[in-house]
Amino acid sequence: MREWQKVLVLVGIFLIFYFAPIDAAVVTTSISAGLILLQEYARLHVLTCLVPAFFIAGTIAVYVKKDAVMRLLGPKTKKYIAYPVGTISGGILAVCSCTILPLFTGIYKRGGGIGPAVAFLFTGPAVNITAILLTSSVLGWDFAIGRLIGAMVISIFAGLIMAFVFREHDKKTTENGFAAGLESDLPYSNLTVTFFFVLQLAVLVIFGLSIDPTFKAILIVLLITSIAGIVLFKFRREHSMEWLRETWNLTKKIMPYLFAGVFIAGMIETLVPEEIVTGLVGENTLPSNAIASTFGAFMYFATLTEVPIIQKLMGLGMGRGPALTLFLTGNALSLPSMIVLFNVMGRKQASVYIVTVVSLSVIAGWIFGEIF
Amino acid sequence: MTIKVLGPGCMNCKTLERRTLEVLSEMNFKAEVQKVEDLDSIVAYGIMLTPGLVIDEKVVWQGGVPTRDKIKQVLESALAGRVAP
Repeated sequence: MREWQKVLVLVGIFLIFYFAPIDAAVVTTSISAGLILLQEYARLHVLTCLVPAFFIAGTIAVYVKKDAVMRLLGPKTKKYIAYPVGTISGGILAVCSCTILPLFTGIYKRGGGIGPAVAFLFTGPAVNITAILLTSSVLGWDFAIGRLIGAMVISIFAGLIMAFVFREHDKKTTENGFAAGLESDLPYSNLTVTFFFVLQLAVLVIFGLSIDPTFKAILIVLLITSIAGIVLFKFRREHSMEWLRETWNLTKKIMPYLFAGVFIAGMIETLVPEEIVTGLVGENTLPSNAIASTFGAFMYFATLTEVPIIQKLMGLGMGRGPALTLFLTGNALSLPSMIVLFNVMGRKQASVYIVTVVSLSVIAGWIFGEIF
Repeated sequence: MTIKVLGPGCMNCKTLERRTLEVLSEMNFKAEVQKVEDLDSIVAYGIMLTPGLVIDEKVVWQGGVPTRDKIKQVLESALAGRVAP
């Protein structure tokens, strides 16, 4: 930042505090609503959901052997394997959102081709394990599962449509050297890693159960002791340190944005009139799902912030169908990501992709709203 | 020897670059370390899981931040490969 920019920022802050009607009712109520929601998240979701979820994400980043999954996305894999792998691999390969685009570009240009690449691109951000766990903690299991299944089904359809419309694309991409330098040298069996993973997941699930508190505390202590036992005595020190580093990096990256998002979501509740929300997206109709879908496609949500924002929009009367639609496109698309897609895929393919996923999300949200 | 650290500029890529430089100075070995951030050039190496490490145009690592020992081992074997190909 240049010196004159700092001067401008400082002058701006000064002018805001000089003139802003800080004691006006609308300002004080919206700020306190933001703080109240922050307290709700701090009390209900941070220790019992987010902290375990970050450790789990750290485990995936360090201990899961990625080479096997990557090979299944290569140019020689059968299509009926590459598509399902594309849809679920986002949860295994891409713990951080900045890994999604290089991976997509790689699969698109050198690997399984446009279909599996598109399937990965759409679900990558949505099947993120921390996002699913927070959704279930805040909005319930039905939403978490709806979000997961909705994203997976849409991504396969979108992939198939893209592969059909742009049949020519895949004919020139068969190269070797896919996924080189990925040999993993982790000396642990799949069983150990799976057990370690399940123990951490169990901590999270037990936190969520409504059982006798003493019994719950005993179970949690037992689980954490066994996790610590594996970390200390089974895993090598360097890998355990790596696990902690990865968990901490993720926390550091996500938490500030999440808290800012929670605060803003709390403010939305008092700033946005209820009539607008119920009027536009209150009912589960195709037009209201279309509004939610288009809004989500352009709007940028930092990782996890979609959860408090949708929670509060639902508090203002947003229907369940449009809410799921917003989850689907809100994560997968944003204005910045569209610009990157235009560069990587070209104007024609990017436009077809965007229109396809926006329409499929409308249908998926509508079906969810009708059933649940 | 030319070493390239490939990644679009996220935290892990910066960690890998820092560690590589540390290991190099620890080994007392001089090499040129470049940072490649352009997506197309990254993918051209066959690297999809960033960050990646390329020594003399050969991909030696991708998909996470390797430990210092691992970087050292990779560098040593690349050196050995040069002396006796």
